[in-house]
Amino acid sequence: MRELVLTLNRLLWLVPTLLGLLAITFTISHIIPADPIAFIAGDNASAEQIAALKAKFGVDKPIPVQLWNYVIGVAQGDFGVSLYTQRPIADDLVSRLPATLELAFVSILLSAVIGIPLGVLAAIDRNSWLDHVLRVFTVSGLAIAAFWLAILFQLLFAMELGITPLQGRVDGWGPEPVTGFFLIDSAWTGDWETFRSVAHHMILPAVTLSFPAMATVMRFTRAGVLDAINSNYVDYQNAMGVPRRVVVWRYVLRNALIGTVTQLGLIFGNLIANAVVVEAVFDWPGLGLYAVNSILQSDYNAIMGFTLVMGAVFIIANLLVDISHGLIDPREAG
Amino acid sequence: MLIRHASRLCRIAAVATIALGAATTTATAGGKFVFANSSAYDTLDPHAIFDVGRVASRINLYDGLMRWFDNPPHLEPWLAEKVDISKDGLTYTFTLRDAKFHDGSPVEASDVVYSIDRILEMKKGAYSLFEGTVAPGSTKAPDAKTVVFTLSKPSAIFLATVPEIHVVNAELVKANEADGDLGTAWLSKNDAGSGSFQLKRYDPAIGWQAARFEDHFFGWDMVDNPLDEIEFRTVVEINSRVLGLMNGDFHGTDGYLPQDQVKRLRTSDHVVVQEEESMRIFYSIIHNARPPMNDINFRKALSYAFDYDGFIDNILSGSVARNPVPLPNNMWGSPMDANGYTLDLEKAKEHLAMVEGDVREITLGALAGYGQTEQAAALLQNGLNKIGVKTKIVAETWPVASGKMRDEEQMYDLLFLWKSTYYADPNNWLGEMYACEQIGARNNSWYCNEEVDKLLSEARVSTDQDLRKANYEKANRLLMEDAAGIFVYNTKWFGPFNKNAKGIRFSPIGNGQEMRWVSME
Repeated sequence: MRELVLTLNRLLWLVPTLLGLLAITFTISHIIPADPIAFIAGDNASAEQIAALKAKFGVDKPIPVQLWNYVIGVAQGDFGVSLYTQRPIADDLVSRLPATLELAFVSILLSAVIGIPLGVLAAIDRNSWLDHVLRVFTVSGLAIAAFWLAILFQLLFAMELGITPLQGRVDGWGPEPVTGFFLIDSAWTGDWETFRSVAHHMILPAVTLSFPAMATVMRFTRAGVLDAINSNYVDYQNAMGVPRRVVVWRYVLRNALIGTVTQLGLIFGNLIANAVVVEAVFDWPGLGLYAVNSILQSDYNAIMGFTLVMGAVFIIANLLVDISHGLIDPREAG
Repeated sequence: MLIRHASRLCRIAAVATIALGAATTTATAGGKFVFANSSAYDTLDPHAIFDVGRVASRINLYDGLMRWFDNPPHLEPWLAEKVDISKDGLTYTFTLRDAKFHDGSPVEASDVVYSIDRILEMKKGAYSLFEGTVAPGSTKAPDAKTVVFTLSKPSAIFLATVPEIHVVNAELVKANEADGDLGTAWLSKNDAGSGSFQLKRYDPAIGWQAARFEDHFFGWDMVDNPLDEIEFRTVVEINSRVLGLMNGDFHGTDGYLPQDQVKRLRTSDHVVVQEEESMRIFYSIIHNARPPMNDINFRKALSYAFDYDGFIDNILSGSVARNPVPLPNNMWGSPMDANGYTLDLEKAKEHLAMVEGDVREITLGALAGYGQTEQAAALLQNGLNKIGVKTKIVAETWPVASGKMRDEEQMYDLLFLWKSTYYADPNNWLGEMYACEQIGARNNSWYCNEEVDKLLSEARVSTDQDLRKANYEKANRLLMEDAAGIFVYNTKWFGPFNKNAKGIRFSPIGNGQEMRWVSME
């Protein structure tokens, strides 16, 4: 019951949160002295050409009027038209969002699957050589720029060793989109050759993206396990002669994971942010690349659409984290 | 124990990676050419875009009545068999060849009429080239093979701009119009052309793919083993484009890479770098209407304070050619004897001393993300600092800069940038950049000199080639003496291609991206 109330509460807050996000982004993107219409029209455009385009796209109106028109449009499911491509923003977002989400999901999965066990091992063998090695790894993960790491990976694995593709999402053009998630679409249709190609292309971008996330997961798991391992209930289990492996993986980890899972929600936001860089290096046709181009071109509607969608994804990810707390820790479920 | 586990995990990962690699290795060579493009193909509508970065979709999927070839560029009839020009220079009559659109229907004069009227109505892309010269509805098709353009005023550059009228299949586009949008939504992702290649697949996030159009009017006999398929992919990162060329994923990329990347490419066994002098000048706009730049002595001081040789030889490793006037050296109408300015701080000081009124802090504009413009601004700042002129550098993105350029108040005092070739006629540079009627539109210098303007106006309408050449040469000299801008260099194009690609034909307008001449050995 408590979970249901929590979920409904969060969903209700989604609307004002997104409205606030929209107002801030709209204001920032419109007060910078850029003139996207002049940019779109080209450097040979005449004043008349620019004026006609401004009127066509409604950007000659006062900013509050533009904002109001935009909010009304979004309420009706219309995100507007890209100033640059003249295609509906919704179409652009729908075609690119799955690529980014697929990369982010695989990355977060990698971070959790590798980061959590290593964090536990580091805590159990605290101050051992393994703990020190992993500390170097986590500091590196947090300190190394994704851009630089991506290029290093390309040089080593694609150019020197030749065991991974250099860039792209798949050989050729990929499977016919059903969900837009290539791994799912190719598996769904039994096209295992494409599945392998997609997985192969996923390796470098996913590892690059998950590296800092993995470091965070590891640090939080280690801290959580250390905290839990010194608790009375653990002493009790030990005194009862319960094998250490069982104590750690069944009792300690379950309590230690609460902080880690909270972090996973926040990490998801960072993954989306880092995806902008990683997508550019690996030529991954996702929303990050779209966002960069939109910002450089001051394509207002595209920036708004991207911000809204990513805001919603971030809020939903954190909502799922809150719900998962209840599954891990029954006290949270009420 | 842990080491053993870790080692096993690494082995499994390596084996899995290699296995995946073996399963997905593909052959891209043979009849397919993959080009890594820095600009995203946001739209394929040939009338909506007019930039050099996305020229490939226009010249490979569509045909025009005329076409530019090679370097220096020469204009040849293409879809047109011949063109007759009336004595008064107002009527251009084109006779069409037998040609087919990709859907098999014939290319007719009515398609040309629809195409020019569509450009004029959309007011996008190449519209500005025809604005004021071709009135909407003035182009007629007396029969299926004849198109008659009647100009509103004589224009010596009209023929040079005709290649930008990419002919679309009028019936097909009209059938896909929605809410009177002239078919823009549909044509942004579909093909209604007659070009050498026919669109197969398009994804704005990835690029486009096209197959050879067997029925193209020009035929394929002139090329041994022509390409079966072309693919233009968007690859934003320079490093990824370069590495992709080096490992054979791509067969070509743009020819304006930084010199360090060109040097890197030259070391690759898979790549050859084709070198040509292009027609893309690098210069600084000077706001001629604002004090103290409205004083010729201050403008001369600016021109003498820039280290041209240092910039070209040291920063750009001699990869470009000094260009002392606004017109590219290799364009007719450029005075071959013009020496231009050199770095001379003593002369700069002399001119500075003659400036009337106070000299305030000067804003040097640069384009964020375009390192050369920022380096040039820093170099000028260094020179001006030595003669006692305070400056500040403002680097902003192109959308910001292009907006400011059209506003007399917001325009920077100076702004470093390039001027590309949209059509190979001196008017593309001099007329656009310095004619009084273009002030605030394409003349972003707010420069208006009666004598220069008379020369440019005369050359714009005259059909006398000798007169035009003489006028442009004189206008170049006057602009240089007037120090209307800081004219630095003309770009060289370093086109990197896979060594198996043969037949690349570079033209400053098409940038070597017209693929019908190319074959893969």
